[in-house]
Amino acid sequence: MVARIEDTRTATSNLRARRIINSVLLYITVTVVSLIIVFPVYWMMISTFQPSKYILHFPPPLLPQELYFDQFGELFSEHPIAKWLRNSFLIAVMTMLLCMALSVLGAFALSNLRWPGRNLFGLFLLVTQMLPEVLILIPLYILYRRLNMLNSIPSLALIDAAFILPICIWILKGVFDNVPHEVLDASVVDGCTELGALWRIVLPLSAPGLAAVAVVAFFFAWNEYLYAGIMLSSGEFMPASVGLSTLKAIAQTPVEQYMAAGLVFSVLPVVFYLAMQRYIVSGLTAGAVKG
Amino acid sequence: MSQRVDANAPADPSSATKAPHPLFRRRYLLPFALVLPIVLYEGLLIVYPIIQGIYGSFTRIELASSAATTWVGWDNYERMFSDPAFWKVIRVTLLFTALVIIVALTIGLLTALLFNRPFRFRPVARGMLMMPWAIPEVPVVMIFIWILSPQFGVVNILARMLPGVTKNPQWLQVPELAMGWMVLISSWKAFPFYSLVILAALQSIPQELYESARVDGANRLQLFWNITFPGIGSTLELLVVLAAIFSFKQFTIIFLMTGGGPSGTTETIVIRIFNTAFRFYDYSYATALGVAGFVVSLAVALVFILMQVRRAEESS
Repeated sequence: MVARIEDTRTATSNLRARRIINSVLLYITVTVVSLIIVFPVYWMMISTFQPSKYILHFPPPLLPQELYFDQFGELFSEHPIAKWLRNSFLIAVMTMLLCMALSVLGAFALSNLRWPGRNLFGLFLLVTQMLPEVLILIPLYILYRRLNMLNSIPSLALIDAAFILPICIWILKGVFDNVPHEVLDASVVDGCTELGALWRIVLPLSAPGLAAVAVVAFFFAWNEYLYAGIMLSSGEFMPASVGLSTLKAIAQTPVEQYMAAGLVFSVLPVVFYLAMQRYIVSGLTAGAVKG
Repeated sequence: MSQRVDANAPADPSSATKAPHPLFRRRYLLPFALVLPIVLYEGLLIVYPIIQGIYGSFTRIELASSAATTWVGWDNYERMFSDPAFWKVIRVTLLFTALVIIVALTIGLLTALLFNRPFRFRPVARGMLMMPWAIPEVPVVMIFIWILSPQFGVVNILARMLPGVTKNPQWLQVPELAMGWMVLISSWKAFPFYSLVILAALQSIPQELYESARVDGANRLQLFWNITFPGIGSTLELLVVLAAIFSFKQFTIIFLMTGGGPSGTTETIVIRIFNTAFRFYDYSYATALGVAGFVVSLAVALVFILMQVRRAEESS
């Protein structure tokens, strides 16, 4: 009897020991994996916030030696980065407004209305979003050259919006799908027209989805590099994505300024993307995954 | 109410002579009126350029001179298929795409499995996991140009730990290393997205399945192979196709870091198209390459759509 109690006691203490070992292992793995993943971001921070005399040294110290904040002032006074950011902002706002207006129409037709050709329309959007942008760069460039639309911020926003609109419609469709049918039916019984229902019921219930579309469209244009570089070749209209890529680390731009420029450019997209990640992912997988 | 139901049906011949009810008319036309601006817009900026591109690939385009474009038939395509450089581009593209699919999805799957376990600070850890995905491509390029700097790059500390390495390698000048870094950086940027999608699929697996299997004495490996893997299998299939599409599209990272070099070893087809048009100003040939890329991506997109349709049929 006593022996049996002893047995179960060692068994439970073994079990507890195993559980502790398992959870310690889990924490160690999670920590190591997270450190590896964020290391490049950490390195950008380290290289931004200390004077480059520490980092221009091999091997560089892995921990910051001294905090330093003058690089931001130097960056803005030595490079036209304020102008670049302003251009990026203008392109992004125009793309966002265009996308929001059109995606509301498309998503409502796709989600809430029944009509022949609905599936075809959805398919059409799916295919356009999957084509590599560079494939139509040349014909679009030739077209824009002929129409004298190169070097114009609104012209570039038109292209950016065309590329991101299909994804925006898919995101918003997913959100509109979640509006309860009873509410829509009730509104129709109350004499609401379809557009009335869209305006008074669907849109107010879909505020987070609209915000997601705004974020996706805005930062697609903000981040876009390929078309911005080709269509806005004059320095006056250069957006930050193109401007940043012209900076040369060490040789021409001190490392702390170079990395500070990357940091300044990344802050907004990181904050907003992380806040809206669920919606963005749902749009990119186009309803493939119900998350 | 019945009027509304009728309104959805196509007009039958007997009622064709009657003027349609205002409600009928509006209801029938409304969806088309809503999507018309979108179709026109996408048609003008996406579809029309594609058609122009296909047409252009059969011509000789002279942008610099005022000479009109001339019809050259299949010349550009004959040149393409007999060009060894084209086949090298195809090999590089296939290699890059396949490697990114494997690396990014493997990291995505492993991190999803790890971050699906309950532990404290999990929301913080998941937020950190998403960081690479949220940072725009141009700053990603800047970070890695600095990390890979042969003079001061921090990655050299690791390299120097390997036996026999006494000098900092020229990371982007050696073909194998350059390709390896393009794959790693693209995967680092892309994997959080796959991880998040797999996490969502993992959470949709009913917990009761695990509990009853555990009661039946299944071990961890058996749980994974018999419950987890089938549970996320179709999601993984879709992600393979999606990853193929995304990595096929990858332009900015390769273009800004190697430009396709050293000696074309990282030159995927999208980089080749750009270089042909905007470095060598050979627009017609670049357009033919573009058509080749278009055919490939259309085929992959169709696979994705067919898989979607199959999934929709299975779930209904």
